[in-house]
Amino acid sequence: MSRNGRIPNLGGATAYVLHRPHPTAQTLVRQLSAIGLAAIDCWPELPPAALSADFVFFDVDLGFDEQFPWRPGEAPMPMIALIGSEAPGRIEWALFTHRANAHVVKPVGTAGIYSSLLIARQNFEERKQLAARIDALQARVAERHTIVRAVAALARDTDYEQGFARLRHLAMSWQMSLEEAAGRVVALAENEDGNDERHHA
Amino acid sequence: MGDRVKRRFEIGILYSRSGNYRLVSDACRRGALSAIADVNADPESPVAFVPVEYDPEGNADRYAVGCAEILHKSSARHIVGCVTSWSRKEVIPVLERGGGTLWYACPYEGFETSDHVVYMHACPNQQLLPLFSHIVPRFGANGFLLGSNYIWGWEMNRVARDLIADAGGEVRGERYLPLGETDVARLIEEIRATRPDFVFNNLIGSSSYAFLRAYAVLGREDAHFLPQHCPVVSCNLTECELEAIGAAGKGHLSAGPYFHEAGGKAPRGYRPRSSFEAAAYASVCVLAEILADNPDAGWEDLPAAFAARSFETPFGSTVIDTRTQHATLPVVIGEIDGDGFRIVSREREVAPDPYLSRYDRTAQFGASRLRVVAP
Repeated sequence: MSRNGRIPNLGGATAYVLHRPHPTAQTLVRQLSAIGLAAIDCWPELPPAALSADFVFFDVDLGFDEQFPWRPGEAPMPMIALIGSEAPGRIEWALFTHRANAHVVKPVGTAGIYSSLLIARQNFEERKQLAARIDALQARVAERHTIVRAVAALARDTDYEQGFARLRHLAMSWQMSLEEAAGRVVALAENEDGNDERHHA
Repeated sequence: MGDRVKRRFEIGILYSRSGNYRLVSDACRRGALSAIADVNADPESPVAFVPVEYDPEGNADRYAVGCAEILHKSSARHIVGCVTSWSRKEVIPVLERGGGTLWYACPYEGFETSDHVVYMHACPNQQLLPLFSHIVPRFGANGFLLGSNYIWGWEMNRVARDLIADAGGEVRGERYLPLGETDVARLIEEIRATRPDFVFNNLIGSSSYAFLRAYAVLGREDAHFLPQHCPVVSCNLTECELEAIGAAGKGHLSAGPYFHEAGGKAPRGYRPRSSFEAAAYASVCVLAEILADNPDAGWEDLPAAFAARSFETPFGSTVIDTRTQHATLPVVIGEIDGDGFRIVSREREVAPDPYLSRYDRTAQFGASRLRVVAP
């Protein structure tokens, strides 16, 4: 049992239930409001206000891409799939195209909804954090070329190791990342070269 | 009206007559049977109940069996029963399959709603939250958390950890004992070493009695552990267990919807001896009123039957929330004094919030406790 996390308070959160009028939608809305959420059912489209929702439950049996006001897989909130028929093609659509964060099996009862909310939110947040980390790492990878140029500029007549050590020292004293320091070194070196060229001209 | 012919309804009674929480179980059973007798004797009520009993003997695995037997072998569709959350969770699937309803008369840890359960005793916003609001300003926010090793203790202590963090306190320890375990020496030594401001006790039955007796000895050895400095607080301790605890209980605190008081109103002249007895009694009274209006009322009719009305019970005029099927209840905090409780605080009507969705830490502990202190 982890003692680090804290179960979030779901009071006041908003959930849209994208399902045709059916006892499943009624049960779901009733249970969501018992848990303390504001629940709104709609079909066949999500209204514009759904963009600010905290959760979206969507029907996997009869769902289609055009129901969502975002590109498949780019929902700005946790998505919970309502699965009736376990046809592989439908699960594939929910899982790979719309990247559901959790699911509830139909017919929906009172059990399972609360845990689906918590699992979906956790899954969504982790995925978001992971994407942000990957973006940051990709940006750093893209700066490899700048680092090589900065090390070369700093090495001058000595070896690569010393050039790299100087770059690290500069990054520390400027209190910035290695990539940022490299960018500054390259800019300074280019300025110097420009001056030199003008001087020699 | 006085001579109206009564219609007979079988009603399930699912309480253990033995096992380590027998005192609680007996109190619930007594409440249910007293209410059945009172309804049957009431010439104004068209309802006569015939109890159908099953005794699970304190074995968690036998509750589902007992529930199924009542639903299959009798015409009862409503069952008053279960003490532990473990047993309640065991019977819910049986109730769903058999179309039955459980009237649950014990405090529980919240985070549950079932169409097949009516929750007639308190959930955490009706016991744990007001209890902590009461104790933190008076004793401090550093707690030691105890529990029997099953869902009630785990979940109550989980909420308590969050509350203690919000109050700026520290969890000094968290320990669980197997159900029925009475060796508490190590717990006592850990509490002695960590010197909390209060002990939150979710041990049940014989473990709890053994702990309270050993804690009284600790208090005699070190005055920090006297109840006026570091009380043992709980959300399930009532009059029905005080005899088993004896003098060791004096001064400690408990929260619940009801404590027995000599004066005051008593519906049908009945004054329950504990909140367990009161909640089981209330369950049968509410059911009698519902069946009087609709003799076929089953689980699917309950939300409509609860809507826009209240029921006379030992808690007062009781409203049941149609969405969560939890009762609005008084919140009373009592201090053990002899064989009863001295009331130290009382709120008349607190609506249920089983998922703590209305929890607000500023309202809980006041803004001053939450201010970040600059270094």
